Order: sequence, then C-alpha cells, then structure tokens
Amino acid sequence: MAYQVSIFLENKTGHFERVTRVLKDNGINIRSMTLTHTVSGWGILNLLVDQPEKANQALQESGLSSALRRILAFGMEDHPGGLDDILLQLAQAGVNFLNAYGRVLENGKQALLIVDVDDYDLALEQVSKIDLYPLNDEMVYGN
Amino acid sequence: MYWEREFETLERNKLRSLQLERLKRTVKQAIQSPFYKELYQRKRISADRLKHVEAIRELPFTTKQDLREHFPYGFLSLPKRDIIRLHSSSGTTGNPTVIFHNRHDISSWANLMARSLYCAGVRDTDVFQNICGYGLFTGGLGFQYGIERLGCLSIPAGAGNSLRQIKLMQDYGTTAIHAIPSYLGRLYEVFQAEGLDPRKDTDLRLFVIGAEPHTEEQRQRIEDMFGVKAYNSFGLSEMNGPGVAFECTLQAGLHIWEDAFLIEIIDPETLEPVPDGEFGELVMTTLDREAMPLIRYRTRDITRIIPGVCACGRTHARLDRITGRSDDMFIVKGCNVFPMQIEGVLLKIPEVGADYLITLERINGVDEMIVEVEVKKDWFNGDIARLDRLSKFITHQIRDEVLTKPIVRLVEPGSIPKSAGKAVRVVDKRVFDSVKL
Repeated sequence: MAYQVSIFLENKTGHFERVTRVLKDNGINIRSMTLTHTVSGWGILNLLVDQPEKANQALQESGLSSALRRILAFGMEDHPGGLDDILLQLAQAGVNFLNAYGRVLENGKQALLIVDVDDYDLALEQVSKIDLYPLNDEMVYGN
Repeated sequence: MYWEREFETLERNKLRSLQLERLKRTVKQAIQSPFYKELYQRKRISADRLKHVEAIRELPFTTKQDLREHFPYGFLSLPKRDIIRLHSSSGTTGNPTVIFHNRHDISSWANLMARSLYCAGVRDTDVFQNICGYGLFTGGLGFQYGIERLGCLSIPAGAGNSLRQIKLMQDYGTTAIHAIPSYLGRLYEVFQAEGLDPRKDTDLRLFVIGAEPHTEEQRQRIEDMFGVKAYNSFGLSEMNGPGVAFECTLQAGLHIWEDAFLIEIIDPETLEPVPDGEFGELVMTTLDREAMPLIRYRTRDITRIIPGVCACGRTHARLDRITGRSDDMFIVKGCNVFPMQIEGVLLKIPEVGADYLITLERINGVDEMIVEVEVKKDWFNGDIARLDRLSKFITHQIRDEVLTKPIVRLVEPGSIPKSAGKAVRVVDKRVFDSVKL
C-alpha cells in the first residue's frame, strides 16, 4: 500500500520552502509532487517521497499539518497515448479521482500514474474487477 | 428649517429644566421595573432627590451585562399588555439585548426620526429608499416610521440586491437614500457595470449614512460618486436605534436630541465626567421612554461633545464622530460584533482550535471581516474537499451568529498567537478620523 504525504500550506512566501527544508535536513528524496491552492489563501501540497513515514513524522514534528494519504499507483507506458490507455481502463472500472499526477520511471519506457481517490477501498475493488492492480511500494517510491 | 422649532431651538437653561422634569419622570417610571426597583431600593434612590440634572451622577450606571442578565423582562416598566413591539440584537451566544416599546415609545421614536431626517434636509416631497435590513434590526422599521411620519414616499427596499435597488431608484425617481457607507461603494460599482452614471441617470440628491464607522474622505467620495450630499447619523438599539443624533445640513457634528436623551461623557477608567470637549465614553439616559427607560446606560462608544453652538440655530449638543469603543465590540457592514460571538461559534466546531484572529480590512472599498482559524493537526488528512467544506461551514455559522458574512481563512497550526493573557483578537486596519473643526 503506497502513501503520499499531504501538507496543509498557507499561500505565503517561504512556506513551501519550509517544507522542503525539513525534507532536505532529513535526507528525504522527492519523487513527484502536486501543489493545489484554493481562492481562500491556503492549499495542499502532495508529495511522493522515498520514505513517507519518516517524512510525515519529521514534518509534523516541525509543527506542520501533515498527513499520510493512501494512493493508488498504476504503471503506464511512457509514450504518446500511454496515459490515455490507463485512464480508459480506470474510467471503465468507474474510478473517479480527487487528484492525479505522474512520474517517469524510465525515459521512453515506463511511467507511473498516481491517483488520490475519495474512497480507497471502493476504488481497489473497482480496479480488481478489471484485473488491474496497483503497483507495490518499491515500484512507487524506489529508483 | 425645523421639524419642531420649540424643542430644537429651546434655550439651554430651559432645555435643562425640561431634562430635569423628564429625568424625574423617567426615574419614577424606571422604578416600576424589577431591575431598577431592586437596585434603587437597595441604594435608597428616589426621584425626589434629584434637584438638578447633574445629580444624575449619584445614580448607578446600567450596562449591557445588566440587560443580558435580566433578560427578557427585568427592565420592563409596564405590564406586558401595553407593549407593542420589541427589537433585539442578533446572535445565539448568551442572551440577546432586547428593547421593548409601548405605543408612546414608537410614536416618540418616529417623531425623533422625522426630526432627524428633516434636520438633514429631507422633505415630504422626497422619495426615500431605505436600503437597510427590516425585522429585529432597528434600522429598517426605525427609518420606515420616521420617513412616513415626515411624509415622504417611502420605499422599504431592504438590504442587498443592488440591481433591484437601482431599478427601484429609476422606476420611482428616488431622491433620498439611507444605507451604510460601505455598501454605497459597492452600489456605485454596480451602476458602473450597468453603464449607468448615478449623477445623470437618477434623481438622487441626499444620502443618510451611518451605523458603521467611516472617514470624512469616504463621505466625500460617496458625495462625489453619486453627486449628492451625505449626512452622518448615529443611533444604537438600546436608545431605540436610529434617530439619536443626526447631522444638520451644515455637516458640523451630529445634533443629539437632548429633550429625549440625557448625555454624559465619562472617562471609562475612572467613570468621572471628562472636561468639556474632551473625548470619553458616551453615557445616555432615556428621557421620553415609558416601556423600558434606561438610566446612565454605558454605550461604550468613544466620542466627545463639539464645543460651541451650531450656526443652524439648534441648541442641542453636537456629537463628534465615534472614534472607538471602550470594550471590544466592533462594527463591520453595519453589524455589531463582539469577538466573544466568534469565539462561541468556533468552540462548537471540533475541527478547529479555539485560537482565532479577526482582521478588519477595506478590500475594494468594502469593509471585510477576515477570520483566521487553525485547523487541528490530527483532523487534517490531506483531503482538500473536506477542508473546503469546513471553511464554508465556519463561514455560514459565523454569518448566522453576527449577520454579516466573514472571509474565513484556514491557517497553519501555531500561526495565531495563543490566547494566554490579553491576546490581540482583533486587528482593525481601517482608518477612521474625527471631524476637523
């Protein structure tokens, strides 16, 4: 089961850097990320890192609102149409996302689609019906 | 020139005699209420002891706290069957402040309101649009009765819906308006968006503004935008509502109707009267109210009496602008807000901490109340939609409590100063001034 680290961030100068400094100090490597902001002056930073538990703990200890959030990661081909192929399957399975982002594993060959869903267990059930299985942690966080 | 020449231009010594006579009557009437009966018996106070108006200083003050503690009928000086209306403050935190009126009170208030409007130059030929909430809030019905007493064609438009307000103005040829100053900036923007110029496309000539602090520059901007004269007004629900003090057409301070209210300016710390012309807290006694007289009521508003006499011929004292409060109440968009009310709302929402910061700021010409709250760390799970729902929920809860919509900002934990000691809860970035004379 793979996790991303989600951090509540005010949209203020220097606040993003406050997060990356904690990660740097703890030797944590970022694999991928998204930053969502709202019109209300705050947003959420989602990080895919090599050591999610350690990152989450370090961020919380530094005083930030941070949480581990289960994600689903699927492999896809790193070529034109690769994302469309996997999205078509997910759509057929009936999976809807809150957020999604990607990561290239090997240039021109393999990539990852990471999706954040409202109901993790339901999504897992939906994809298993079409014989689609999320990747293991090693694949998601590893090199 | 005057609505009631005999009262408005009464010589000061005669006004003083009238006040003494009415003060005695008021004390006699007040003793009919459970609150004053107990208080005055205990302190051996009777109307006969009052030999001159200044003797009022021997009477105890009445506070908002007293009103709340003796809610709802502790201040009622008449049998309930004689009461015909109540007005009440908003909110669900603690007891509201409620004021009762009998037929005489409503009539007397309507007359003061008509006198105030006349003093600002409103005439029975005017078409008067009251852009103000009706209901428990005093600004709606208070103005309504005054406008009718004066004889204008009244349009009880209510608050909000700018397009409809503009349509009413155009359909019926509105010449006079009552609204809070911060709304008028917004209204002007709607005029512009519609490709209209209020100076050319309406018959507007006169505004009555009030119920929220504003600067002289703001007033002048409103006058320029709409091509009107804008007159400042003052009132508070405990003293009926609007119609307490109004500017005359000379715009040189607000005449406070001293035949209806006895005023004192005190030092809020020592509770002693301040020297003439100096700023202090306004303390008021009703002189013409039967259902619910209030004696030495501490308004918490900081102002002063402008020295000298007004060229308009009215002998009643002139109040300066309200420059602040001696408690933590603030006014935004015409709504009175106590930080305790915000705190009360937040305490009932387990997802957020009890620390908060209120910032009052003028954004695009409109006063806004920004409420910053911290989301609890252990509740946060990275779901943006859940946070957004929480933010909206808090916004609605606060709106229901204080009747004005805040801008709620969720902030990182630890970014708000903790409530230890006398923490700053309200930062007012708006700028107000007093009348320069």
